[in-house]
Amino acid sequence: MTGVDNASASPFAPLQADLARMKKSNLNAAIGDVDKILEMLERTREQVAQESESHKISMAMTRLQNPIKEKCDAITSDLKEVTKAQRAFGKALDKAMPLRDLPMETDAMAEYPEHVVRAIGMHLLREGQFSVASTFVAETEHITRGESFMANPLDGTEDNEIDSRSEQDLQHKFAQMYEILAELKGSNLIPAIEWAHENSRRLEARGSTLEFELSKLQFIWLFKGSSGTSESEYAGQTSAFEYGRQHFARFQRRHLREIAQLCTAMVYAPNLEESPYNYLFQTDTAFDEVALSFTREFCSLLGLSAESPLYVAVTAGSIALPRLLKYTTYMKEKKTEWSTVNELAFETPLPPSMIYHPIFVCPVSKEQTTELNPPMMLICGHVISRDSLHNIAKGSRYKCPYCPQEGATSDTVEIFL
Amino acid sequence: MANHESSAIKHNDHLLLDQPLLRLPNELLRKNFRSAHFVIERDTSALKNLLKESATAAVSGRASQQDVLKNLDAMIIRMRGVKRKLSQYAGEEARLHEHTAARIQHLDDLYSINTVEDVKYESWSRKRLDRLIADYFLRNGFHESAKQLAKERNMERLVDVETFESMGRIRLALLGGSVTEALTWCAENKKELRKMECKLEFMLRLQQYIELIRAGTQPKLVEAINHAKKHLVPYRSQHPREVSQACGLLALLPNSRNAEDCYADLYRPRWTELADLFTTTHNQLLSLPSVPLLHIALSSGLSALKTPACHASATNQGGSARAHQDDNSSQEHGVCPICSTELNDLAKYVPYAHHTNSHVQPDLVMFPSGKTCSKQRLIDEAKKAGLPPCQVKDPMRGTLLHQEDLKKVYIT
Repeated sequence: MTGVDNASASPFAPLQADLARMKKSNLNAAIGDVDKILEMLERTREQVAQESESHKISMAMTRLQNPIKEKCDAITSDLKEVTKAQRAFGKALDKAMPLRDLPMETDAMAEYPEHVVRAIGMHLLREGQFSVASTFVAETEHITRGESFMANPLDGTEDNEIDSRSEQDLQHKFAQMYEILAELKGSNLIPAIEWAHENSRRLEARGSTLEFELSKLQFIWLFKGSSGTSESEYAGQTSAFEYGRQHFARFQRRHLREIAQLCTAMVYAPNLEESPYNYLFQTDTAFDEVALSFTREFCSLLGLSAESPLYVAVTAGSIALPRLLKYTTYMKEKKTEWSTVNELAFETPLPPSMIYHPIFVCPVSKEQTTELNPPMMLICGHVISRDSLHNIAKGSRYKCPYCPQEGATSDTVEIFL
Repeated sequence: MANHESSAIKHNDHLLLDQPLLRLPNELLRKNFRSAHFVIERDTSALKNLLKESATAAVSGRASQQDVLKNLDAMIIRMRGVKRKLSQYAGEEARLHEHTAARIQHLDDLYSINTVEDVKYESWSRKRLDRLIADYFLRNGFHESAKQLAKERNMERLVDVETFESMGRIRLALLGGSVTEALTWCAENKKELRKMECKLEFMLRLQQYIELIRAGTQPKLVEAINHAKKHLVPYRSQHPREVSQACGLLALLPNSRNAEDCYADLYRPRWTELADLFTTTHNQLLSLPSVPLLHIALSSGLSALKTPACHASATNQGGSARAHQDDNSSQEHGVCPICSTELNDLAKYVPYAHHTNSHVQPDLVMFPSGKTCSKQRLIDEAKKAGLPPCQVKDPMRGTLLHQEDLKKVYIT
């Protein structure tokens, strides 16, 4: 059904019209009429104060009655206009955003407030919202003491201390990250290179080439003479040469070929554009790319993902929510329950950028493989889960369910995706 | 094709979580109007009566000039009061109009984005996350954090600080054992609460009564009886059991030994329950979901992202750390958000996603160790590292292999 409606048509245009109408018919009209009543009252008061003859006073008072009544009626109709506009807006709202219940029967998160609080705290830190984070920490401490918001606030004081220390540590780390990123934005690679050098062993263990990429970019940047203070035509190249001599030695083992290319490029310096090395010096997006991979490596060394998990989870949550809603309403109607606790009962399609682990669904059993039931590759290259293999095997032999090949179960290999 | 489909935004479905964003100011506008209406009704009819009386008095000659002036002054003061109050309501109205406008604009922005991969979507979605966090803060009493976040993210008009602050005040008062604030709130929303058939006011009155009896002195007991006559007996038809229990309570003071269970139940501290009842009623009245929106988004999102691999070897720390590295080398995206420390514990309690299709790289090859990798990636890396032709490097062990030693994996 949702496929029918045009994706780009916003239902909010009529709502905006009704809002404009509501803004126009507001309470100020009534205030204007109250002002008029006040004016009349004050004028009559002056009149009465100056009059000494009682019949004139009673005349003034009698004459006041009808206009006041009229104005009171005017106020009532002012208010009617306001209600009318509000009602129209309410109707337009119902139309633009028909009320739909959210799945709230089981709130799995409510039982673990301490985990939610921690996730939010870390999210704020990694987003660089340090002041909000510290206010939040102060308020959690205050509230946990007052109200029983958390069942067991992080288990006693000792743990708490450790936790707050690690939190400070984390804040410190992220502050450092943002400093380095700010420098990167200003084309200053030095702090990033220093950081990468300090952590070079751990980065290398991860198979990351960040340190070299940074140094390479520094070389190229110097080479192009972007540093500004170019005294002579060759100043850029000389400093790049110097830089290369000082720093490239330690990358020789891993990146000899690239270093060789960079050095050879020096020969082509006068007309680099025409040289075979031109592609090396296309650095339009290089700083953005290197900043991105820096963020990723920095977070990975902390054991964290590059994107805030809270952001990814909430975004994925709102993408998957319609399916969940459909499922819960269906289950409510049928009054049944899903028996498998470990796995959702419906598929939640996420965009490819949100699939992090490789997922293998056994083509025989249609189950996802797990640690206990890993994917096995048959001799022909087809893959099924280990349980399925056991089920289709006769003794120590099997026949592939996809091709005519047969083989011995002992020749199958567990694969790691 | 399938990829394209899963990235497309279905706008109407996508705004499920954002219903309260427009519903709340709408409810508040109506409430604001009702209060203004009430003031006007009451004071204009009082004005008309006073005017009529003093005019008749003046005509009949009973009132002197001084009397008439005094009456006129009273009328002027009353109308000034009306004006002052109305100005407040008009100010609130204008504020709510602005909030509504900003929110409609924000939601409308989503309609100009058609796919999740759009860069604009990320900033929109971040804003939504900030809103959800602010909502979480406000519901749990972290008012200062919420205010600061709203200010720093420049989204004050998308966040309902005032509403939750006043709710928090009443809730705290209840937890501290004071019912007056909550009763005032009940009086303000009398009609709507009656329509909802809510028992909050009765429960508050009952608690007042219990406290009077708990005090136990003679004058307090007399007061308790009067209180029951005035505030509890009218509810006899709706809550017969509670009312008769309340009457029975008179005979069983808290110190009496053979208080039955149901009476003991009335004497135990019930403030947290009352505070929760108030919160539920409050949220219901303003069409706010009873659960923080962040919880809904999270439980749906954690499940959608979770795979059996996320908590594999959870018992074995070393093993899972190694697993992380494996993933980094084989996937472009870096650490999975569920494996990341922030959400890992929380995700333990939700089921993992259901998949009917495999999602692996299309050109997998296998090393003799059983490790698999994308062939294109291996070739790219070999080129970059300047390896001899047809040689590739096992990213895990660092050993060199001939391409022919790799085995193609067929994923069906």
